[in-house]
Amino acid sequence: MLVLVALAGSVSVFGQGRAAAPAGGRAGGPPPSARATAPFDPTGYWVAIISEDWRWRMVTPAKGDVVSIPLSAEGLRVAEAWDPAKDEAAGEQCKAYGAPGLMRGPIRLHITWQDDNTLKIESDYGTQTRLLRFAGAAEATRTGARTWQGVTAAQWTMASGGGRGRGGARRGSIKSVTTQMRPGYLRKNGVPYSDRAVFTEYWDLHTEANGDQYLVDTNLVEDPVYLQTPWITALHFKKEPDASKWDPTPCDARF
Amino acid sequence: MKRILFLACAVLAFTRPASAQIELSGSYVPLLYEDYIERGPGSDLGDFTGMPMTDEGRAKALLYTSNLPSTIERQCLAQAPWVGMYRPLGIRIWSEVDKDDKVVAWKIEGDYLRDTLTIWMDGRSEPSPNALSTAAGFSTGKWEGDTLTVRTTHVKTTWIRRGNGIPASDQTTYWVHITRHDDLLTVVTIQDDPFYLSEPHVVSRVWRFDPRGNQGGRAICNTANEIPRLEDTGIVPHYLPGQNPEADFMMRTYNLPKEAALGYAESLYPEFRRKLKGLYTPPAACGRYCCGWIERQGLPGAAPGLACNDGGLGELHPVVRSKQDGEGKAPKK
Repeated sequence: MLVLVALAGSVSVFGQGRAAAPAGGRAGGPPPSARATAPFDPTGYWVAIISEDWRWRMVTPAKGDVVSIPLSAEGLRVAEAWDPAKDEAAGEQCKAYGAPGLMRGPIRLHITWQDDNTLKIESDYGTQTRLLRFAGAAEATRTGARTWQGVTAAQWTMASGGGRGRGGARRGSIKSVTTQMRPGYLRKNGVPYSDRAVFTEYWDLHTEANGDQYLVDTNLVEDPVYLQTPWITALHFKKEPDASKWDPTPCDARF
Repeated sequence: MKRILFLACAVLAFTRPASAQIELSGSYVPLLYEDYIERGPGSDLGDFTGMPMTDEGRAKALLYTSNLPSTIERQCLAQAPWVGMYRPLGIRIWSEVDKDDKVVAWKIEGDYLRDTLTIWMDGRSEPSPNALSTAAGFSTGKWEGDTLTVRTTHVKTTWIRRGNGIPASDQTTYWVHITRHDDLLTVVTIQDDPFYLSEPHVVSRVWRFDPRGNQGGRAICNTANEIPRLEDTGIVPHYLPGQNPEADFMMRTYNLPKEAALGYAESLYPEFRRKLKGLYTPPAACGRYCCGWIERQGLPGAAPGLACNDGGLGELHPVVRSKQDGEGKAPKK
């Protein structure tokens, strides 16, 4: 018996971390919700610190400036053909505000629990809303239309040791995968992604000694149409004390 | 006998994880999908975008010329702990263990780190503030879940970023968070400097595990005379205050306001766009380093007629894309 317990412990400790299993709660009881099993609290107001790629994230760069994005030839061709007037005429001013482009923008996020298994991520920039579904993503994908924010399936990945070190705090991260997106732009100047793009994110929370909190979003954009290889970056957001700097602005195809 | 073996396995299973919760050992390649120009071909002079600099830091940075690193006293200033966040080559990580197989330290070696970084995991305390600053600084680490959190102090004076003179003092300290998700390694550095930074400078980068990665590079700094006219003359190449001809390079080239180009902290936050609106117009065309990654990856996919310079690490000459050069290869000289 001791051996079994010990080995069971070793698997969870040596593993790279494993997904929490919302469907696998205590025998006979309802599965624990994502909210109940959360190893950290992602809710609140967060601001993007634009300390990297400033010239491509804070403002709209020149047409054809696609540096650092591994575009395919077709991607380059489409980027070269960018015409914001055409987007405006088509009512598609939000093409740069789809999930992969939005997260890299100059944004504030407001994260709340919509329900026990759904995190709601709102942005003031472009007034977008994305739902991280810890349950029900498959159904939403099956029944829903393509949108700028797509359908995001999420899961907690508990840190080694089942999320608890020896007497330590519960730890872990979120892994989310977004599909079902309308074609949009990775960059404001028309660098495209297609409706086949998949947006994978790993969300980690870091709390500093002075109490500052940073939410770090390591993410991959995979697109068989417009990218040669996955576009992989990390974004960091700092926790804000309140909504005083929340500043909703509509989508803008040019600025 | 079997029982003893099982018991031994069980005991081992419980004892090892305290020393290492995630295996970090291996070689990693940097993914240059952010700040590519700076990390690949090199930074523009006068490009302090994304930096929260003090007036003192800005003034010192504007004295910089690219001849300055040729003076022997300053040849090592480009090398520093965590400067790998701005370098193009890979890193190698390994652990050192004690007789009980417990990790005593994590080691990181890589391009321009000035020395091998040692992250002590044995609970030792930080040295006195008066202790010697060393090439690698002094680092301690602890696991917070699957993240290795590192504190680095006692570093030498250096430059932040790459090749344009943004200064950091020997009072610089870092908090660093290293997290591995599958094959991706995310490194977040939060740098404080009481003299040259007006608020913490936060950078997050991604590396990918790759046993065939391009790890290596110069971890140790050697000095030598590079420019004869500087030898034994006492000349220190510099611009006098107000006379740096590149001070407005980013403003005239990319239509950026001074606050953004020269590293004012306000420019890092979304509300700065209110100041930009009506002020900023995109350049008419992308004139340099426009191509992204096609040549760098060595993959086919040239856009017909698009001329550009990838400014990459191997072939620095312009590559003209045409239908005849459809594989994106450099034309023969």
